[in-house]
Amino acid sequence: MRAEIRKIQEMMEGADYVTDAAIATSVHLGMTLKKPLLIEGHAGVGKTEVAKVMARMLETNLIRLQCYEGLDAAQALYEWNYPKQLLHIKLEEGTDHSLKQKEAAIFSEPFLIKRPLLQAITQDGRPPVLLIDEVDRSDEEFEAFLLEVLSDFQVTIPEIGTIVATQPPYVILTSNRNRELSDALRRRALYQWMDFPGFDKEVRIVMRKVPGVNERLAREISRFMETLRTLRLAKVPGVAETLDWAQALSSLHADHLDEELVTETLGCVLKDADDVRRFKRELQTTGLKRFVPVEGS
Amino acid sequence: MAAPPRDLVTATLRFGQNLRRAGLPRTVSELMDAVRALEVVDLLDRHEVYLALRTCLVSRVEETPAFDRCFDAFWKFHADDGQGLEGLTSPMPDHQADEHAAEAPAGGEQKHESVALEGWEEESADDGEPLEVPGKSEREVLMDRDFSTFPAEDLDEVARLTILIAKRLARRVSRRRRPTRRGGVIDLRRSMRANMMKGEIIDLRRRERRRRKVKLVLVCDVSGSMDLYSRFLLQFLYALQNVFGRVETFTFATRLTRVTEQLKGHSYQMALRRLADVRDFSGGTRIGESLQEFNRAWRALVDRRTIVILLSDGWDTGEPEVLANEMLMLRRRAGRVIWLNPLLGNPSYEPLTRGMAAALPLVDHFAAAHNLASLRDLAGHLTLR
Repeated sequence: MRAEIRKIQEMMEGADYVTDAAIATSVHLGMTLKKPLLIEGHAGVGKTEVAKVMARMLETNLIRLQCYEGLDAAQALYEWNYPKQLLHIKLEEGTDHSLKQKEAAIFSEPFLIKRPLLQAITQDGRPPVLLIDEVDRSDEEFEAFLLEVLSDFQVTIPEIGTIVATQPPYVILTSNRNRELSDALRRRALYQWMDFPGFDKEVRIVMRKVPGVNERLAREISRFMETLRTLRLAKVPGVAETLDWAQALSSLHADHLDEELVTETLGCVLKDADDVRRFKRELQTTGLKRFVPVEGS
Repeated sequence: MAAPPRDLVTATLRFGQNLRRAGLPRTVSELMDAVRALEVVDLLDRHEVYLALRTCLVSRVEETPAFDRCFDAFWKFHADDGQGLEGLTSPMPDHQADEHAAEAPAGGEQKHESVALEGWEEESADDGEPLEVPGKSEREVLMDRDFSTFPAEDLDEVARLTILIAKRLARRVSRRRRPTRRGGVIDLRRSMRANMMKGEIIDLRRRERRRRKVKLVLVCDVSGSMDLYSRFLLQFLYALQNVFGRVETFTFATRLTRVTEQLKGHSYQMALRRLADVRDFSGGTRIGESLQEFNRAWRALVDRRTIVILLSDGWDTGEPEVLANEMLMLRRRAGRVIWLNPLLGNPSYEPLTRGMAAALPLVDHFAAAHNLASLRDLAGHLTLR
């Protein structure tokens, strides 16, 4: 393995993020090729965390743009500070400044509210990490707009002029696949699919993140989650749920799983009434041993 | 240790050709990124080379199996030479792959063609002609005639009418997107400009409120019992898909297939050919299980602004309980669920099949789909709850 990639993996692990070669490689490539990295995967597998860890690793700022339906350029790029402009006009009343001067005054940088995309472009010092979270929630129009910004990292504000990024930010895009993203966006970005972690990785994650859990419990939790995810659930629990659950079990001073404990703490893992019902039926017919096979030790 | 870039470029471009043959066309700039990626990884480490190329050249997870096959061949070729990665300097034997590519589509097509689809491919071969609306009386006759009784010579007309109806439906849905006028939102930016000299905002500028969009999800039964109707309904789906932007289309008999991509494009023949490749030929209908699959894998496509249209005769060989369960799931998420049943055109038909009986109480609108008039009448029901 290339030293740089190993180093990234070590740094990510050092920042409390359990990872693997695939993710470390794509982060390495995103940084060296200076290309946006699109991470797709189920909810709660730790996509957003990659950007946070990257920022910590590079000791730089994380700028986050949370996408939602109806998000537009005013929310993502910049907006004028209208109350401030109004006040300024009031204060200017009676002065003999011309219309042109007044206009130039209120449409200048002090009156500009920088939203995440503009912040990311105009940041001084080290290039920041720009996290565009859940891009699949935004509309197609916004995606097209985003594409434009990401391709040349420059923004034109009619009243001020064109602002070019002093240094392009590192860009991470995440998607839960609520909507298919356009091919244009996919072509422009590097791609990484993030699946639910395998058994060993999940054990490592639990042990790392929830220190109160012993190895036996961590293994039982991970085995349980692995089996649970094979049921046809409406809302498949991610790593976030695993960790919530481990935390809850740890605060109950549990050192292994039993049926009663699982039933009591089920709310940490299953968030849908139908799923709970389905799971309970499974539990009644097959018992807990289907989910947590006794390990030979 | 790294091979000279020129050879890396050659090898990568050839790899790109193989990917294209495997159905993953990549642009030159993506391939160039892959070359740059190869320059910053360990070329002796197979897994690392694999990860680097995958990061650059796979753009959705579904492409991974095809990519893996290409990569295996790529790596084997360069490593099996006994020269390890020095092999990156030799060209790929592309004649073999060429032959393979030429054979595959032709063979696959023949194997997969079904009777219903085959008929359509020949009969509507004059796709390029402009749409014509037949004379009124003739048209009325066509509108009311049951799909299953059409003689072959009328099929062209039916195809045209189907497209017209789909277009009208699409227009209707897009008109309904616009909410009742509420004056729109205040556009502060333009208001500021307009009132700059007044010192106060007097003259408010407004802009139109964002339109709420309606999405369509179509799920069409293509099992044996629907054969007489599915050729028309597929035409209808194709037309809807292409005149109305936000449509997702699925077909099922015993398993669910997403055909949205296959239905896109200007030629219905091409769409049919692509459909034939993915069609589910096994006998029997498992509506419940297919919906279960839909709810599991594609649930995210459905929200309060989605109208789900199911096209099926309700002959289900699966458990009615499963169907009822999945219908309930669907209904809870969707803005509206419409079930179109071609058999409903028969006056003596009663929805007594076990599946139909289970699903019926959970449907917002239950209607016929046996002739053009019934498709046309759908317009009034394409609204949200």
